[in-house]
Amino acid sequence: MISQIGSIAISLAGGLIFSSFIFLCLYKLRNDKTYLDISERSILSTCYCIFLAFFCLLNELLISNFNLQYVAQYTSYETPTFYKVTALWAGQAGSLLFWSFITSLFTVIYIFETLKKMENLKFNSYLILTFIFSFFIILSSFIANPFEPVSSDIVVQNGNGLNPLLQNFFMAIHPPILYVGFTGCTIIFVMAMAASISKNVSFDWVRSIRRWSLIVWTFLSAGIILGGYWAYNELGWGGYWAWDPVENSSLMPWLTLTAFIHSSMIQEKRGMLKKWNILLATSTYLLVVLGTFITRSGVISSVHSFTAENLGPLFFTFLSVLILYTVFWFLRRKTYLETDDKIDSFTSREGGFLYNNLILILMCFTIMWGTLFPILSEAWDGEKIYVGQSYFNQLNVPIGLVLLFLMGIGPLLSWKSTSYKVLRKNFLIPMSTSFLVGSLYFIFSVKYNFYVLVAIMGVSFTLSSILGEYYKSLKKFRKRNSNIIIATYKMFMSNRHQNGGYLVHIGIVLLFIGFIGRAFESEKEFSLSPGEQIYFNNYIFKLNSIKSEARDNHYAFMSDIDVIDDKNKLLTNLKPEKRIYFYWNSDPEKRQPHSELDIYSTIQKDVYSIFSAYDAEKNLGYFKIMINPLVNWVWIGGILMVVGSLFAFWPNRIRR
Amino acid sequence: MNKVSTSIFLIFIVIVGWIVYLTNIKQDDSLTMKYYSVQELINKKSDISNIKLGGNIKPNSIEISEDDQLEAFFYVYQNQDSVKVYYYGIRPDLFTDDAEVVVSGSYSNNLITAKELQTKCASRYEGDLKNVEKI
Repeated sequence: MISQIGSIAISLAGGLIFSSFIFLCLYKLRNDKTYLDISERSILSTCYCIFLAFFCLLNELLISNFNLQYVAQYTSYETPTFYKVTALWAGQAGSLLFWSFITSLFTVIYIFETLKKMENLKFNSYLILTFIFSFFIILSSFIANPFEPVSSDIVVQNGNGLNPLLQNFFMAIHPPILYVGFTGCTIIFVMAMAASISKNVSFDWVRSIRRWSLIVWTFLSAGIILGGYWAYNELGWGGYWAWDPVENSSLMPWLTLTAFIHSSMIQEKRGMLKKWNILLATSTYLLVVLGTFITRSGVISSVHSFTAENLGPLFFTFLSVLILYTVFWFLRRKTYLETDDKIDSFTSREGGFLYNNLILILMCFTIMWGTLFPILSEAWDGEKIYVGQSYFNQLNVPIGLVLLFLMGIGPLLSWKSTSYKVLRKNFLIPMSTSFLVGSLYFIFSVKYNFYVLVAIMGVSFTLSSILGEYYKSLKKFRKRNSNIIIATYKMFMSNRHQNGGYLVHIGIVLLFIGFIGRAFESEKEFSLSPGEQIYFNNYIFKLNSIKSEARDNHYAFMSDIDVIDDKNKLLTNLKPEKRIYFYWNSDPEKRQPHSELDIYSTIQKDVYSIFSAYDAEKNLGYFKIMINPLVNWVWIGGILMVVGSLFAFWPNRIRR
Repeated sequence: MNKVSTSIFLIFIVIVGWIVYLTNIKQDDSLTMKYYSVQELINKKSDISNIKLGGNIKPNSIEISEDDQLEAFFYVYQNQDSVKVYYYGIRPDLFTDDAEVVVSGSYSNNLITAKELQTKCASRYEGDLKNVEKI
């Protein structure tokens, strides 16, 4: 019954969105605002129908209604309730409905919050939203319907259950957070297009779209970092970023959105770069759609791909229409978007932002090129080419390092232009710190690496530059408040926007500290019997025992390893496991082996252990140990980025 | 030319240079690798130092050394053709008969010596329903 309601709700949403289109046409023909209001109500009703369908699917997952194909495929009676909820986005059909659900949430907020103040954007916003909703409703109705019943000639006794790899808290929350970021880009696109078509790229518009961008950016960042955290803790290859096409698909819109957040500041301050900002805002969403096309079409091989239904041609058509629409209106509004004001000097704050924009776009383009190169090459001359991690690392590392320095240079520059005297004064401390720290590394490093040297100099330069800015602000506040805590609090609260931005930058610097650690990683693969030990990287790894037990949904081989440091002191005890899910299945192909890691994590380094295989006859375990320095700084940096961004998003209350 | 125009000109040169470089990445072995088909490899007379090959593991072809479980030989097939692969190291969890694999390494004397071995990750279940009863 509930599933029928869900199915009807999706069909109803389709009818309502079609009626919205009709009323928008009538509004254009008769110029009667009533039609625009009806269209608005139709869109809102579409959103409410999608909410209803979403909750119906949630209900079916929770009650394990295996009469539905989707529920049977992604849950089982044994699936814990929490993961039954997360199964909503585990498969194609559910994730598409979830996508529409979040888009609907954002649309409701956009209509009630943003469009209330910007009536002029209504018509074009509704038109674009109608098109976007129509596409996703068609997908959910005809191509990947989550309410599709199982074949009538079978009875499902129990569902397949959720993939054990996905039964991890961070994996459970990573996709929805990333989806919130992706779908949020829809609103940014709609706002940018509606404003340029209706010639309303105003000061209020830029302020409003910047706030939307900040919140969307926060979710995108959090989603990307959580994905990395899950990969590191669950997948067992010891890294957090593999330059997989799907990972790249999330990074590309993040880069353009980051560029937009910076360049829109120039428009807010000086009314410049309207054209460029419209381009960045629209291309962010186009990159999201491109990423979705990559993920759901299977054109590029990726570990994350959904491949059951081939949505490639549909997404390609959708993307093509959006690109054509964007280009058409961009060219038509080119003159309107021109600004008279030009950049006076490149040694200015706006010049710094512009460099930052160029670097971010260069990075985005490099990643896009590497991601799409295999299909471009095959289409060009039929040659299948693999673009590996070395491409992305070799080309992005230098670009990233320039960006790192630019983050430190930006705050030292003044708006319009910076005199030589001011430049010298502002750069003195960061430059000296950078050279000092770089020299210390150069002299005392055991394992010298050029990129590490530049990264260390960049980290110290940027960190001292930002901390210097905080110190200057704090000095002003201390003149009025002798208490340092109150002065610091007031300083932070006085300009949340800027201080939040600086916090984000510190977060990124910490990320770079984590990246530096990758240059010093080491690993070893070995086999041990209980009682044996091995020496690696100044640690002794002693295998105490290997035990086994049958658990609820898997069979586990549990190792017990003592890690002893160079002072012969027990540092930690690691218990990596080898698990076999569905071990009761008579068909070996249906059993799923999985290595459950154990990590000893400190702020300096992680000792990462993987139990790879077990030879029962010889009672021999096969292990991989990795020593990963500074990884925790990546997570700390990620948290700081999110906190800083939320801080910047919050409106100012206390003004100086 | 004033300073702003010079800067724009320099930026333009850097971007164009970068794009030209990117269009030629195929020539750079350290950045890209060519995907070979098994058929292509069989027909190849010379050794190849850097290859990538995708296919499925030929059923019953996996041989694991008795002395060292990290050492394995297996065949990868595409349609009717297959090629022998040697791999030393920890094998992925999903390494079984008929699993879809991608190996990268070198090719010599009809043998691929793989440096990397990846299986298609089942991070999404898209399989058939398992516990069903026909009516």
